[in-house]
Amino acid sequence: MYRIRFHGRGGQGVKTASRILGSAFFAEGYEVQDAPRYGAERRGAPIFAYVRAQLSAIHERGVIARPDLVVVIDETLLPLPAAGVLAGVTEHTVLLLNAARLPELPEGPRPGQIVLMPELGEVAARGGLPLVAAACAGAAARLTGVVSGASVRQAVADELSALGAEILEHNLELALSAYHRMDDHTGTVQEGEAPAPSRLAPPNWIALPQVDVQHAVAAIFHGATSARVHTGLWRTERPVINPAACKHCWWVCTTFCPDGVIGVTAEGVPEIDYDHCKGCLVCLAQCPSHAIEAVLEREAGAVAAAASAQGAS
Amino acid sequence: MRKLMTGNEAAAWGVRLAEVDYVPAFPITPQTEIIERLSEWSATGEAACRLVMLESEHSMLTAAGTAAATGVRTFTATSSQGLLYAMEMLYTTPGWRAPFVLVNVSRGLASPITLEPDHNDVLAARDSGFLQLHAATCQEVLDLVLLAFRMGEDATVRLPVIVNLDGFYLSFTREPVQVPDMEAARAFLPPYDARALHFRAGEPSAQGVAVLGGAPYSYFRYETHLAARAGLAAFAAGARDFAQRFGRVYRPVETYRCEDAEFAFVMMGAFATKAKSAVDGLRAEGWRIGLVRPVMLRPWPDEELAQALRGLRGVVVVDQNLAPGHGGVLHGDVLATLYQAGVPGPVVAAFVGGLGGRDIALEEFAEMARVVRTAADAGKSPPARMLYTAEELRQTRALQAVALGGGV
Amino acid sequence: MSETAYKAMKDLPALHLLAGGTPMCAGCGGLEAVRLFHDILGENTVFVNAAGCMTLLATYPHTPFRGSWIYTAMASAPAGAQGIRDALDVLIAKGRLRPQDDLHVVVLTGDGAANGIGLSSTSGAIDRGLDFYYLCYDNEGYGNTGQQSSAATPHGAQSATEYRPAGVAGEKKDLFSIWVAHRPAYAATISADEPVDLARKLERAKGLRGPKLFIALAPCPTGWHFEPRETVHLARLAVKSGLWPLREYVDGQVRHTRPPAPAGKRPPVEEYLRLQGRFAHLFKPQRNEAVLADIQGAVDVYWEHAA
Repeated sequence: MYRIRFHGRGGQGVKTASRILGSAFFAEGYEVQDAPRYGAERRGAPIFAYVRAQLSAIHERGVIARPDLVVVIDETLLPLPAAGVLAGVTEHTVLLLNAARLPELPEGPRPGQIVLMPELGEVAARGGLPLVAAACAGAAARLTGVVSGASVRQAVADELSALGAEILEHNLELALSAYHRMDDHTGTVQEGEAPAPSRLAPPNWIALPQVDVQHAVAAIFHGATSARVHTGLWRTERPVINPAACKHCWWVCTTFCPDGVIGVTAEGVPEIDYDHCKGCLVCLAQCPSHAIEAVLEREAGAVAAAASAQGAS
Repeated sequence: MRKLMTGNEAAAWGVRLAEVDYVPAFPITPQTEIIERLSEWSATGEAACRLVMLESEHSMLTAAGTAAATGVRTFTATSSQGLLYAMEMLYTTPGWRAPFVLVNVSRGLASPITLEPDHNDVLAARDSGFLQLHAATCQEVLDLVLLAFRMGEDATVRLPVIVNLDGFYLSFTREPVQVPDMEAARAFLPPYDARALHFRAGEPSAQGVAVLGGAPYSYFRYETHLAARAGLAAFAAGARDFAQRFGRVYRPVETYRCEDAEFAFVMMGAFATKAKSAVDGLRAEGWRIGLVRPVMLRPWPDEELAQALRGLRGVVVVDQNLAPGHGGVLHGDVLATLYQAGVPGPVVAAFVGGLGGRDIALEEFAEMARVVRTAADAGKSPPARMLYTAEELRQTRALQAVALGGGV
Repeated sequence: MSETAYKAMKDLPALHLLAGGTPMCAGCGGLEAVRLFHDILGENTVFVNAAGCMTLLATYPHTPFRGSWIYTAMASAPAGAQGIRDALDVLIAKGRLRPQDDLHVVVLTGDGAANGIGLSSTSGAIDRGLDFYYLCYDNEGYGNTGQQSSAATPHGAQSATEYRPAGVAGEKKDLFSIWVAHRPAYAATISADEPVDLARKLERAKGLRGPKLFIALAPCPTGWHFEPRETVHLARLAVKSGLWPLREYVDGQVRHTRPPAPAGKRPPVEEYLRLQGRFAHLFKPQRNEAVLADIQGAVDVYWEHAA
């Protein structure tokens, strides 16, 4: 059975990618299971989707624990433990990265092989246009070596024709171009075996102790604990305050920030809390002196350094 | 003080003696008398509770839950359709681990609609997380309300409790009831201590929050189960104290004349006292037969029940409820307990009866006893039967004749 | 309003009581109203939540509130507020809680629950004169489930359950007037772009005992299909075009706190509509003049009568 996981952010077409690949396998005559998995979080938050495919009936269900292929639509997820991109990967697993160059992998399990997909345009895919999704699905299909270009074409049409001819055409082009860019890697991804029951480690069940009610109830006994959730990870673009242009009317940006994560220093200078800023850019749109600009998150480090140098000068 | 009172008045007395702080209410037959009495006492100051009329049972249960979550002793009451209308909150509030007591006055469910009792309403709440105690007399109604607060508020339990009484046969029926005096009741049931689970200035808390994922969800659900199981010990401790103070003994499973029994009826609620009179009659004719009555439905007193049924040749389960397409609810639960506990041997004769206030006549108890004895002799449990007589069918046919336009 | 602590945005609390890290979407228009509520009412507040987007504000073990919170159900948050308010009153009356440790009780609800499943419970609470705040973040649809039509979805909008070329045929339910018909202590509509108006209204309501309504127009990037950065801009256009009248009911009178410019001088509703994907069908592939005229006409008639 092929077991394939797609990782990306809400709004990047992760679900669409899994559906296109699922439909392509199906067009090829495979039995298929595809599903997205999402929690409470919203656009920009890490999500994943998965596809199973084999020629006979599929009885497995739920999250894929041992993937044959992991497709990473957004490489910035790799270092985030919560995203679980590398969960369950082994020597057998292929990692397909939507990235121009190999990023540093975090500690932990390593895939047997990494395939890079050159940059495919704007990752954020704003406006619901699943540009990257079709390309990732096309590339993944080619890596298996068992899905034809015709099936990919049909799958993209099945999934995206509702968006109109223009968008469909663009996506077909992207999907097939990505498909053929993987020609040298075709067949890299191999169907994995189901592990033998005797080789599975026992589950370490415990008898749950009854505990005091305060530890037994789904209640929170402290305020403002959400500060531990770093929603800054959702951001694809960050607002950066240009200190030279800022007129210190801090009450505008601090009030209009929907998340209330712009604070103000004792000197009356607004300060963005990047741990929690989701990158909505309302501050940028509302700043009366246009002192806030948007910077792609991946380039933010350099820009922030430059800005602080400028501020210091 | 010993005086004649209805089951509804007995419930109200239990609330008064428990010094309940807050009663959100909504009227429904046959429960209404409870809240009318409490409203009156609240106005005169005889009961120290604030009573507020809500606009539905769903809202009433919500207000009861949030008041308990704020840390006050709370009581509410409903019946039948009202219990079903509140069902979302019946399942929701136990997870808050904020105890309160709900009296349900059992009444059959629509459709067809009826005012008269059976146990389908309260059994719909069987798996809600509420603990459940079932009264068989007006005295028990009062006593079980006090015991319910004691059990639910126990630090190991902290769950809401339903006390069930049958409509009409208890709700509107007067019997002598011994009313404990206030001081004794207060000594039995000290003030409620919500501990950290409350809303207070300077102590931020978030209650009833969502979880993500099966691991925390399962954890909190399992803990609710463990707390419900802890209800057995809490009830036993409360009942011991109650017996010392008031002289009346309660067990999770009541056994009546079971000492040397070959056979036993298994029933819940007010009609179980009819089984007692049947037992007396049959015993007078030489039968070795008794009654086994679960007073507690949740937590399910499996060990006590298995103990009570051990050594019997035959068991008669009389269900005053109907799970269409399955049969009686109690029947399945009793079978599971017998099998799981490895109780060897008794045949089980299952009967559904007493639906929508239908009587279960002494003749029927006698016949049920004969059925189970025959089955025990043959060594095989008989098919389940729905109690219905030819005379009842004749009466119903007469109604049907009119409904169908005949005989006009 | 003569005496106010909030004359300009500068006067709004600089320190926010609602922590970051919430699971609300980037650019959520409702969150700002919730935050200002918390800032102005203070830490001694308990929010009683009805099912909706904000259900996820407190997701174990994370809560953004420095006050308290309870999630009830979709239909019965006002009854939940009743239980808490009554319990606090009982505790104070019986000397088990010091009056200075009392809490403000705030129902937090979306427009779906407010106009539909929760309306009976709301009506009951107002009728009983319950002393509580009712904050409805109105994103004009069932936002948490993907923007299906609610009773508050406006005329002409498309939604996840409304694909007809002309959009929703009906009109947005007038929750404000439904409240006013109950003669509550206070009722107001508010907007994310008018935080001072919001603060002053809340300041006034704080002095009144009884049911107090606030409906915040809550632009929703996810459900309305616009760029998150446009949230406040859209809220402003809604007010300036006259589509979202900022109203206040107190002492039996309804008045407008920020009326738009007169007809002809205010921006046409189109400016507001065309920024949102949910109205895109009114402009492409061709303009739906009839529906656009309906929407503009309703706004003009409203202000003609209001004048």
